[in-house]
Amino acid sequence: MRPSTEAAACDPVTLEIVRGAIRSAQAEMEALIERTAISAFIREKKDFYTGLFDAAGVLAVGSNVPIFGDITGPVFRDFPPETMRPGDLYWYNDCYGSEGAVSHSNDQVLLAPVFRAERRCGFVMAWAHFADIGGLRAGSISPDATDIYQEGIIVPPTRLIEAGRTNEAVLTLFHRNSRFPAQSLGDMRALMASVDLGVRRVGEILDRFGPEVVADALGQLLARTRERVRERLSRTFAHGTHRFTDAIDTDGHGNGPFRIRLALTRSRGPDGADRFALDASETDDQAPGPVNFLMNPSIPGMALGLYYLGGDPTQVCNAGGPQALDAVTLREGSLLRPRFPAPLGMRGLTMMRVLAALNGLINVAGGGAPAAHSAYVIILLRGSVRREPAGPPEPFLLSDGIGVGYGARPEADGIDAVYFVAQENYPVEFLEAGYPVRLRRYGIAADSGGAGRRRGGCGIVREYEILADEAVLAVRIDSVANPPWGLAGGRAGGSGRAVVNPGTPGERLLAPLSDGNRLARGDVLRIETGGGGGHGHPFDREPEAVLEDVLGGFVSREAAQRHYGVALAGDALDAAATAALRADRPPTRAFHRHEYVDALA
Amino acid sequence: MPSPEPDLAVAVDIGGTFTDVALHDAASGRTWRAKTPSVPADPSRAFMAGVRLALDEAGLPAGALRRVLHGTTVATNMILEGKGARAALVTTAGFRHVLAIGRQDIPRRENLYAFVKPARPVPSSRVLEVRERVGPGGTVLEPLDEASVREAAEACRGLGVEAVAVCLLHAFANPAHEERVAGILRAALPGVAVTASSDVLPVVREYERSLATVLNAVVMPGVASYVSRLEARLEEARVAAPLLLMQSNGGVAGSATIRRAPALTALSGPAAGVVGAREVAAACGVRDLITVDIGGTSADICLIKDGRIGLTQAGHVGPWPLPLPMVDMVTIGAGGGSVARVAGGALAVGPQSAGADPGPAAYGRGGREATVTDAHVVLGHLPERLLGGRMALDAAAARAAVAGRVAGPLGLSPEAAARGILAVVDNHMVGALRVVSIERGHDPRDFTLVPFGGAGPLHGCALADLLGVRRVLVPPAPGVLCADGLLAADLKAEFSRTLPTAGPPDPEAVAGLYRDLAAQAEAWLAREGVAAADRSQARVALMRYHGQGGELAVPWAGDATAAAFAAAHEALYGFRLDSPVELVTVRIEAAGRMPRPAPPRLPPGTGARARARLPVHLAAGLRDVPLYDRGDLGAGDRVAGPAIVAQLDATTLVPAGWSGAVHETGAILLGREP
Repeated sequence: MRPSTEAAACDPVTLEIVRGAIRSAQAEMEALIERTAISAFIREKKDFYTGLFDAAGVLAVGSNVPIFGDITGPVFRDFPPETMRPGDLYWYNDCYGSEGAVSHSNDQVLLAPVFRAERRCGFVMAWAHFADIGGLRAGSISPDATDIYQEGIIVPPTRLIEAGRTNEAVLTLFHRNSRFPAQSLGDMRALMASVDLGVRRVGEILDRFGPEVVADALGQLLARTRERVRERLSRTFAHGTHRFTDAIDTDGHGNGPFRIRLALTRSRGPDGADRFALDASETDDQAPGPVNFLMNPSIPGMALGLYYLGGDPTQVCNAGGPQALDAVTLREGSLLRPRFPAPLGMRGLTMMRVLAALNGLINVAGGGAPAAHSAYVIILLRGSVRREPAGPPEPFLLSDGIGVGYGARPEADGIDAVYFVAQENYPVEFLEAGYPVRLRRYGIAADSGGAGRRRGGCGIVREYEILADEAVLAVRIDSVANPPWGLAGGRAGGSGRAVVNPGTPGERLLAPLSDGNRLARGDVLRIETGGGGGHGHPFDREPEAVLEDVLGGFVSREAAQRHYGVALAGDALDAAATAALRADRPPTRAFHRHEYVDALA
Repeated sequence: MPSPEPDLAVAVDIGGTFTDVALHDAASGRTWRAKTPSVPADPSRAFMAGVRLALDEAGLPAGALRRVLHGTTVATNMILEGKGARAALVTTAGFRHVLAIGRQDIPRRENLYAFVKPARPVPSSRVLEVRERVGPGGTVLEPLDEASVREAAEACRGLGVEAVAVCLLHAFANPAHEERVAGILRAALPGVAVTASSDVLPVVREYERSLATVLNAVVMPGVASYVSRLEARLEEARVAAPLLLMQSNGGVAGSATIRRAPALTALSGPAAGVVGAREVAAACGVRDLITVDIGGTSADICLIKDGRIGLTQAGHVGPWPLPLPMVDMVTIGAGGGSVARVAGGALAVGPQSAGADPGPAAYGRGGREATVTDAHVVLGHLPERLLGGRMALDAAAARAAVAGRVAGPLGLSPEAAARGILAVVDNHMVGALRVVSIERGHDPRDFTLVPFGGAGPLHGCALADLLGVRRVLVPPAPGVLCADGLLAADLKAEFSRTLPTAGPPDPEAVAGLYRDLAAQAEAWLAREGVAAADRSQARVALMRYHGQGGELAVPWAGDATAAAFAAAHEALYGFRLDSPVELVTVRIEAAGRMPRPAPPRLPPGTGARARARLPVHLAAGLRDVPLYDRGDLGAGDRVAGPAIVAQLDATTLVPAGWSGAVHETGAILLGREP
């Protein structure tokens, strides 16, 4: 809450300056992690984020990802803020112990208080996905897991550094549980150095502007986001209840589909003010397999907030999003609020489907959110390799994230071939130098983007030849039975698949969410990832754009003709044939998945 | 007294509005300057017109020129405006979409709902595949199928391209296939520019290397014909001197080098400015400085330690990573033309710019947006006439823009709003100043700030105050420092090799690599005509801890290099690791020393006398402040803030609390009073 004294108020100019200073501190923390971390998962794929919290532990400046829950609450429960001292550093990865503030155990959260003149003024956070923290299989997340104990060591909120003195024993214990302790150690050093840097930088900001002004600035940034999101919510959602249902295919253990049912109700409270309540309690029961998404109640608000902030660079993604919702209801025992110790490792696909369902909710209410996207795909390949012909076999772990297509938007095509915010690929030349695989192909999966006036983003084809004697593969692909829906006449995006030795007599299709797939030297593994849904009637797409898509390998000639009504003569448009095709315009309905429908059940 | 044989060099810097020329005679130490309007349609016309003006002023013939130096933004503008040649990319079969996919990310600062991938300089429809495969370490896994190359050449002909980039997988470790492909394409496609990644940037990571090669291809025809036009005009004028062009690395190179790798000039202009600032500072005995070059739309910031300009291979041009060696500077979208707006109760300044046309409201050319320049006008920082009286400022229009666009929505007075605009833009620049200093382990308080560019000296002291910097050096001609930089630049080139596999340095193998690179460097220096005594080579090692993704550049010191790396890592990041230290890339930085112009000598002054007093809105209120004409100031003259010093190409704002004296080179050295 904002201090009431006149002297403490932060004027609009100072507000912008404080915001810029915090952003630079954040960029500096991120650059340090990127340059010094050891595991490829952090330094090439860049699976890490940072944030700044106010004195009360409320997220004031976050990263542009809707995956942060209430990060500070779990620490405060075990270490009341008034007991904290300068130089302290807190650490956890405990999903159930944090109500889903982190939602799988690989993510390590480090949090440090910032003090000025013996007063606690804020907190700095850095988090990163550690490549291996023990558990059932290398990489710690496996579709085979049936409880969270199989997903690596659990660290409850822990005081890693007490007033400058590091608890080395707890670090030793943690690194001893990793199959790749040198990576674990190096990554932890990088993360600790980053938080240390953040504490110094935020301290300098406090010195420069004074704690009261900074506190007021953070309060204003929160209020600004909250007000903007509420104002936009009221523009999208009429009074009443709006519902949308989406589904993930399977839990990898023979169960599914699992439906995610969201309802948003706008009502008038007793004080006459609007009340926005999100209810996900009708979501299906939790899964035996590791697709449960222990969703912190902040997540839907973070996602809606990010959507409503749009690309405006003056806005800040923070707890103002979650604060814009008056209530979030989840049901204990459901896919989004599983009971301990249900496994969580593969929750990424469910999280991505929740984001698509929120898009759906906005769209049924008449908003302009994107069509659905595919969930990003990951493979984990483990085995051993001899670096020298007579040398000992050394274990390797390749966790390769592969991009997908995102949903088309009213004014823009969906994004082709991206994984998620900030997360990058492993370059072919990097991959081949470090792992026993050779890439045969890395390209766009043609026709995977849903046809539409705006085309859905295309997924990727990535084909590996195995050079290790033997390897075990885990694969995570969703949206196969339930492809990403298209919108307003746009067609659904294509589905992904994993296939071994394609086009040979020994061709073998793998279950999309599975582990224990054995591969041998010389096997070829082809991963195809799904696309995003299209937006608008495909016959309304400019023929020139369709031609460019065909010539660029994004759309096949057949699909151009069948879905877009565009005919080509050689490498040019056939205007007469196109006009003839487009004269017979198929009717559409609100959504498309397998067929055009008015509502997705 | 007979004058000695002149040793003449001319430097030409072409800006958006004006072309600046500096003519220097090393024998007499004299410099003549000329300014002529730029001719965007054919920059070579302004180039030659400017050279002639300067020669006429000096009364010397064109034939007396020994060197012609030039900084060009031709490549930069083609990249930023997407107006390069129609090009194709030839790559390894199976990897056609590497460019389209990029690094597969939505950038960290972008919003996933709103992000649109920038259109690639070459669309996928013009990417062609050839059958071949090289593996890690340069091993040939599949021989080159030359028939597939001829098919690609045929396809290029059908596409009507003017340039072709060739980037094959692992070519940084073994360029044989790439060279053969380029050879076949050159033979099959006469008149088409062909460039291979191993010529441009032999480093690992296929997306970044493909992009650099494609950007090189896209600018190649334009730069080549531009260079030819310049050379033709020089020949017409009977100039026999070689044409040397400024590169992004802060050194010049002959036109043959630039024709082959024109992308090397992507940051040509800003790099020249940094070199100029270093020279001006060195003449005053200052070797640790931070330069701030503020123009109309952007600001370039660079740190120089011990007189050495650092290089980076992690630079960007527009949205594109361009890992070519370039001066390690940070560019931000903040300048005199940056537009201030209020949205949702928040004040934002830039990155949108009013440009040169219509420009700030104060220019009176119909601009209605409130810009940084308008804020200066509202506060009285700028005298009413700019550019030596040729251009009057419309103070009423500036005030109306600031009042309407910023003051009104925020409920502030126009003066408070103007101060707010400057505070926001200064803070933005301070962010970039911190990136080059504090973030890289340097305390800015140990440095002297050198502001230049048309708008730099208006902000220098304010920026220094925000950083705790106590010394500011304003160059004699802050608006035309790039031309000075050209005169002072050495010939420079980097020769590097990425090891097939990173690992602990093997001294014998490393010595062999350095020998090879040294031979290449020597050959290049010889081609550029550098005398043996003027040649130098520095050995640099790019190292990391095993597993890291980023390298640090340290001078190669044999067995002691690893320890030097660990020390540099700790200084920069705050910790060391026990992990093995790996050598990733070896590099030789070759230089050919060029004659340095002698610093100018200003006659002693007779005491600074104000031309007028201007009403200026200071934090303390409205005050009458002395206005000095820089041309009136002589060596040793003192200036105490608050004061304004006006000159043809820039205006210096000396706030209260700052004072200083004019150095004998003409620079003003300002200090913060304790």
